[in-house]
Amino acid sequence: MNTRRFTLEAVDWAPWLPPVTLESATPAQRAALDNSPQANSAYFRTLANDVDSLAERSPLFHAVMYVPRGLKRAERELATVVVSIINGCVYCSSVHARRFVELTKQPEIIRALYEQGVDTPLEPRLRAIVDYAAKLTREPAAMTVADLAPLRAVGMDDLEIHDLTNAVAMFANANRLMQTLGEPVLPEGDA
Amino acid sequence: MPKPPESADLLETIIGVAPGSALSQLRAQRPDIVGHTQGSHDVLLSPADPGGLSLTERALVAARVAELSGHAGLTRHYRRLLAERGGPPHDQRQDTILRHVERVTTALGTALPAHIEALRAAGMSARDIVALTQIVAFVSYQVRAAVGLALLAEGNAV
Repeated sequence: MNTRRFTLEAVDWAPWLPPVTLESATPAQRAALDNSPQANSAYFRTLANDVDSLAERSPLFHAVMYVPRGLKRAERELATVVVSIINGCVYCSSVHARRFVELTKQPEIIRALYEQGVDTPLEPRLRAIVDYAAKLTREPAAMTVADLAPLRAVGMDDLEIHDLTNAVAMFANANRLMQTLGEPVLPEGDA
Repeated sequence: MPKPPESADLLETIIGVAPGSALSQLRAQRPDIVGHTQGSHDVLLSPADPGGLSLTERALVAARVAELSGHAGLTRHYRRLLAERGGPPHDQRQDTILRHVERVTTALGTALPAHIEALRAAGMSARDIVALTQIVAFVSYQVRAAVGLALLAEGNAV
């Protein structure tokens, strides 16, 4: 894992397959793109090649990341950054690290994760979230009920654990699409 | 063999969540997640128009991802679906697809444009390649969601 490539700057993404163009999109493709975070991004236009799966995935993603109550948004974003660092997804980590910083004004937490890795010292609640996210990403089959104990110890209820699980799972998904259908394009001078 | 009813929730079936249980009620607080998780499964595994990625190949891909991820319940589910669809095709294209599936499941950081070209050379369109990748990505999601739900069910049963 080349941690030096992870950044808090905006990263672009170049597809390895021809994306659907907004001019040529069918009505169904246009509707699925309009329900995605950014209708005109090359990433979502690439996914629009298989329109029915995009039409299900975009509302699933939205519900996992933004549905109210339960796990705080910043903590969902943190979990997705941890998954993206482990999987090596430079694009995903950039987007969601910046969301975490917007919400918390704590770029030092992201810098510590980028520079020292996911085992960097953190306050107990964040440590519990990061450890759960890391193990569920790397070794889902090795998880046991004991892995919930650190989350319970910092006061997390079932709904928060449910939301954390889904955020981690969603980025097992997002990283695979982003890293195998195209590649990140880093800002000038940061390559 | 009869297909399970389309309204059944696969994750709850796999984990053994009883209707009305605490975990079922917890999931009911996130209806869009429940609905679009099942919806993603249905459009990826049983699309009305499968295009150039056959229903058999779709089941084969999902079974391999579940197996590589070490999830027994989902592996059984997808192997049964594959058997219902006549079993693996055992052709050269199957080897190309499975090599790709194994890379995207376990070594996603090693993907290269040449791997997409290999799928193209095996006769797959842009839509087929996106669908193939979506199936790998979906089952990778589904395995982790299932693991987390099962832990919550187990933790609450004590």
